Amino acid sequence: MVMTMDEKTLKSIIEEVMKEMALVGAGAPTGKPAGRSAGGTTSLVISESGPAERGTNPREVVIGLAAAFGGRQTQTIIGLPHDQVIREICAGIEEEGLSYRFIRSFRTADVGFIAHEAAKLSGSGIGIGIQSRGTTVIHQKDLAPLSNLELFSQSPLIDLETFRAIGKNAAKYAKGESPSPVPVRNDQMARPKYQAIAALLHIKETQLLDPNKKTQALRVEYR
Amino acid sequence: MALIAGIDIGNATTEVALAELSAGATPALAAGAAAAHNSGGAPAHNSGGAPVFIASSIVPTTGIKGTSQNTQGVFQALTEALDAAGRSLADLDLIRINEAAPVIGDVAMETISETIITESTMIGHNPTTPGGLGIGVGSTIRIADLERAVPGTPYIVVADHEYTFEDVAARINAVEGRLHVTGAILQRDDGVLVHNRLRRKIPIVDEVSLIEKVPIGMLAAIEVAEVGRIIETLANPYGIATLFGLTPDETASVVPMARSLVGNRSAVVIKTPKGDVTERRIPAGQLQFIGDRTTDVDVDRGAEEIMRAAATVGPLRNVRGEPGTNVGGMMEKVRVVMGQLTDRDPAGIEITDLLAVDTQVPQKVTGGLAGEFSLEAAVGIAVMVKADRLQMQRIAHDMTAQFGIPVEVGGVEADMAVRGALTTPGSSVPVAILDIGAGSTDACVLRADGVPRSIHLAGAGNMVTLLIQSELGLESQEDAENVKRYPLARVETLFNIRHEDGTVQFFDDPLPPQVFARTVVLHPEGMIPLPLRQPLEVIRQVRIRAKERVFVTNALRALSRVSPTSNVRDIAHVVLVGGSALDFEIPQLVTKALGEYRVVAGRANVRGTEGPRNAVATGLVLAWEAQR
Repeated sequence: MVMTMDEKTLKSIIEEVMKEMALVGAGAPTGKPAGRSAGGTTSLVISESGPAERGTNPREVVIGLAAAFGGRQTQTIIGLPHDQVIREICAGIEEEGLSYRFIRSFRTADVGFIAHEAAKLSGSGIGIGIQSRGTTVIHQKDLAPLSNLELFSQSPLIDLETFRAIGKNAAKYAKGESPSPVPVRNDQMARPKYQAIAALLHIKETQLLDPNKKTQALRVEYR
Repeated sequence: MALIAGIDIGNATTEVALAELSAGATPALAAGAAAAHNSGGAPAHNSGGAPVFIASSIVPTTGIKGTSQNTQGVFQALTEALDAAGRSLADLDLIRINEAAPVIGDVAMETISETIITESTMIGHNPTTPGGLGIGVGSTIRIADLERAVPGTPYIVVADHEYTFEDVAARINAVEGRLHVTGAILQRDDGVLVHNRLRRKIPIVDEVSLIEKVPIGMLAAIEVAEVGRIIETLANPYGIATLFGLTPDETASVVPMARSLVGNRSAVVIKTPKGDVTERRIPAGQLQFIGDRTTDVDVDRGAEEIMRAAATVGPLRNVRGEPGTNVGGMMEKVRVVMGQLTDRDPAGIEITDLLAVDTQVPQKVTGGLAGEFSLEAAVGIAVMVKADRLQMQRIAHDMTAQFGIPVEVGGVEADMAVRGALTTPGSSVPVAILDIGAGSTDACVLRADGVPRSIHLAGAGNMVTLLIQSELGLESQEDAENVKRYPLARVETLFNIRHEDGTVQFFDDPLPPQVFARTVVLHPEGMIPLPLRQPLEVIRQVRIRAKERVFVTNALRALSRVSPTSNVRDIAHVVLVGGSALDFEIPQLVTKALGEYRVVAGRANVRGTEGPRNAVATGLVLAWEAQR
């Protein structure tokens, strides 16, 4: 059977997202404690701690979050709670013996630019950029913003295991090792199935952009 | 004036040498001398009737060497050379082609040892990030049973993927003080994460994929070494004996286990009543060498024994493999391919040379719990079959009909090559040439009396590719081919690379991201990243050793066979020709090896202009000149 996206399903998805948007309420300041994550018993608390600075520690990987990550939005496009996403990425970095730092970018919602910004601020020159819906990029400071080391463009196909592997690979790049790229699944149907909702989630992200706000360093806690 | 073209149809390239000869003159010089005097095709000798080379060309060979498909490539090469000289096909008086006996080489790999673990006695894999440091001994226990465990004995915790790193650490921390936990075996890649969360640090081995097979309630020992170090206690039979209190007999039985753990950064050894690690020889079949005498040898005895057996039978006439074994299948395949190419009965085709090389292949350990690999002994075998001359006569006939120009088959390829090679400035008779191709290594000696003596041997470029591919565990043959052909470098940042000799090269523009932090081969069309984890130096050593074992071995083997005294020392000059002579390190390797025999060896420079190329084509023209 070929999956088709008729007008009705599209409408229902849009309605669902609109409802959710209304619930969260526009204009809520980011950095305020996020709600309890869907599955876990911990909740993710992300707060800003002033403008992000360039690191000098060659053992760190900087993780750049998009505007709504862990704030206005709490889960990826397939419902993975953001706290677990962060936990897995950090576990991957820690297992390789490196440290991590978080920043949030407000000037752009483009994951390539977010990751590049993170890489430029990173002491190792390696950064990870992640959008609220789950799209992720591993970047290196000397590359052009639209280039990348590894790109995970199909957010519906990224599971927690992949996030762990992304953290691990980023740490390996920072150590100067040559990891095999994280296997990326490919699903022809992911695009038609999720395109509309992905677009809406992106709009939600861009609503929080502020071209005059400097990239912020973040404090990430589990409570 | 006669215009003649010498054409060399090789496995990879078709080369043309175009020359003009003054028709009436009959040079009184011997063949070798004529060639030697004519280096560079100097016009000064023209009056003596020596050929003047006016053009040469090189194109890729069409079809398999020695078949009628070659005609197309020949025509193209000929056109190129004629265009360069400003002549047309009609001006041509004679075409001479090489004998081009299709020499078919086939290579195969036979693994002859395997490591088998019974009863899961050992975990010897190398997770990249184990946790903790040191040695822990205790009895294995599932993490779920930890709460109910009785104090008094030390424990090693076994945790499957159901347990997250936080959970594992919390449970071990919870029993601290009550129980003595000395180590942990994890299924997930969580070693460092758990270690960071423990209050009392213990060695941890992680990524044990088949953890459910770890025997529970058995005495086990874990060892994790520092970064950059390897384990010392579990890789030592007496170390294991000390930890487990073994008797001398039992100690003897753990030797294969200790040996297979050598070089690891972490390991687990479990003492079970019947468990064992054994190394078994796999029967790979027998080879029968038929010469003046006949002798059989088991392939699993190793390359040295095979080559020794081959040398005892005198001139080799045929090699048979034991039917129903892998090696038998390989011999059969070569015969069938050759039979198809030459329209002959496969049963009548004879294998005239065989080269065996010892190698090591990473193989998955049977019964391993963590997908362990162990380097197993293997034998690489190259064989060669020589075809007959009739085939070439037919091709020459076809070409004559097609071009309307007489086409004749010149002499043996190696004999032609030696004549061409003699045009290298500084060379003189007696001289030997070494033509290292993809499928075979050819050698020819030309003595002062002008009588050439030549030989074809199995084993050349393809064999090296096979060795590189299997020793590095490369999946694609293309990668192995690239490793063979081009130097390596390490991309350190996006703006600089470190070459294999240690020098650094900088770039103004950033390199492409896919080569970042990788070991690359410096292909002329750009860097190609290798899917390998081994350090650059290891890859380089594998490459050099593979070349030495095939090219240097064969160079010595070939030269001793054509040497008048069967001794390599009695050849004064060796000239390298053919495509492999263009390789970035083969000429040096061969030159170095032959230097030990006081033999002057180096890359040819045919006619002083062509480098190692065009030797056969040039030789074909010179040989005709000498014949008249």
